[in-house]
Amino acid sequence: MTSPTPSDPGSPAIRTRGLGKRFGTRAALDGVDLDVPRGVAFGFLGANGAGKTTLIRLLLGLARPSAGTMQLLGRDLPAGSAEALARVGAIIEEPRFHPHLTGRENLQVHAAARDRAAHGRMDGALARVGLAARGDEKVKTYSLGMRQRLGVARCLLSDPDLLILDEPMNGLDPAGILEFRQLIRELVAEGRTVLLSSHLLDEVEKTCDTVAIVDDGRVVAQGTINDIVRGGQRAVDIVCHGPVEAARLLAAVPGVLRAADHEGALRVTLAPEAPVDREIVTALLRRLLEHGVDVERVAPVRSSLEDRFLTMTTRLEDRS
Amino acid sequence: MPNLRLIQAEVLKLRRRRGMLAVALVLTLGLLAVAYTVGVIQHGGNPGRYDAPGGLAGFEDSLTFLSVMGFIMAAIVGSTAGSHDIDSGVFRDLAATGRSRTALFLARVGGAWVVVGAILAVALAGDVAGAFAFADGTATPGAGDIAQGVAMILVSGALGAALAVGLAALFGSRGPVIGILIAAHLVFEPQLQGAGFLGDARQAIPTSALNRIGDQATEGLDYRVALGTAIAVVLAWVAVALAAGAWRTRTREI
Repeated sequence: MTSPTPSDPGSPAIRTRGLGKRFGTRAALDGVDLDVPRGVAFGFLGANGAGKTTLIRLLLGLARPSAGTMQLLGRDLPAGSAEALARVGAIIEEPRFHPHLTGRENLQVHAAARDRAAHGRMDGALARVGLAARGDEKVKTYSLGMRQRLGVARCLLSDPDLLILDEPMNGLDPAGILEFRQLIRELVAEGRTVLLSSHLLDEVEKTCDTVAIVDDGRVVAQGTINDIVRGGQRAVDIVCHGPVEAARLLAAVPGVLRAADHEGALRVTLAPEAPVDREIVTALLRRLLEHGVDVERVAPVRSSLEDRFLTMTTRLEDRS
Repeated sequence: MPNLRLIQAEVLKLRRRRGMLAVALVLTLGLLAVAYTVGVIQHGGNPGRYDAPGGLAGFEDSLTFLSVMGFIMAAIVGSTAGSHDIDSGVFRDLAATGRSRTALFLARVGGAWVVVGAILAVALAGDVAGAFAFADGTATPGAGDIAQGVAMILVSGALGAALAVGLAALFGSRGPVIGILIAAHLVFEPQLQGAGFLGDARQAIPTSALNRIGDQATEGLDYRVALGTAIAVVLAWVAVALAAGAWRTRTREI
């Protein structure tokens, strides 16, 4: 029997260093350094095949890494995996169940693998995900959305410090997504950490505090959503008369990288060292007005997580 | 150590498979009932030609039948227990709890043994009742005969279930395992028993060991297995199957 490894309560919920996983000659993960702080909703973003699920499988002990180290809830893996995983609830890809059993019976099966108190948490978990009334129906009659909810209920049986949810919003209708988002925020408010792996950028942006973007097996960015979005290029859209002349004029303004037509407006892309919006917009307007160009509308472009994601990641067809 | 809560969960999963349970009951209790019914009709119609279906002779015949059918039933239940977590994808979630995979595997064995044992106990109770009810004045089995018969049937079921759980974990699916075990038990083992050139190595054939445990006649065979050897052979087969299944369960990437 492995002796439990000491847990460091001040450590991140998840920490990986140089983590790698190879399938033959293909590197599914390559030198991943990831820090997931405790008590946050952490978005793990990546396109299909980027390595999100592989990382989750390694953290949960479902596959062995080819290189690197991992810590879960302050315990080294794999030595401390039993103790760490006892405090983790996870949905990996689509939640799976025994279809011939009811929702409650499926939870009963799972509770048997958890601590003794898990059985007593079944009713509360079903109620929390809105399945209290359908818990005694066979899972084969459940919709995908109901199975997702049951998957979350299963996660809650261990009263987890960390929930790892892999694409949990698949199959949910808009109302279900909204409820799910609220549930995640409630779980975080209770002091739990939620790792939300997804390719639904909008949902991650609305739900999470902190994100990591994974691309082709590597973490290409991590931090708060604000930090990551701020790291993108700033721009200002201007609708004016004589856009060709305006573009020539604006390209000469200090702090402007380029000015080009963009969906009926003139998009002025700013250099990182450009002054704050108030100052640069004033400078741009002054330049145009001084040269007799009439301006109809000016709007700073708010960079979204989606914009940043698309600039950082490789499209599948571009991968060699 | 096998975990009682995990075994109970395993029994729940098997108990709720109504189709599989129906097949298991038909193969054992159902076919036994048919055999007795046919025997009673034949004996009633022509007692001079057909012996009574019960009594000691009938009991021994039914034990041979029940041993084979019990093994097949155990193969079906065991292969289901060994594969249903993997087939359904639930094994991944169970393994992600941090619970020892060996404990998860051993719970499947325990669960299969409970279900197989319960079905065989019902079938044996019916068999013993039939042996007395339909003896028609012939000698009835004594306590020793019954004990040996019960031991053989339960060991046959336990062996079949253990082999099936182990192989199902190894293959990750149920169908091939049932086919392999039925073919091995009904076709290959009788052929090997008759292959004289194998000499004493034939003592390692499961059927030989099971027959010895039940003190069943092995007509036409030129070797006999000692009881201790028979028990050791069964334990060895169980150990090999469980070790292989546990190894695959521990090392499987999911």
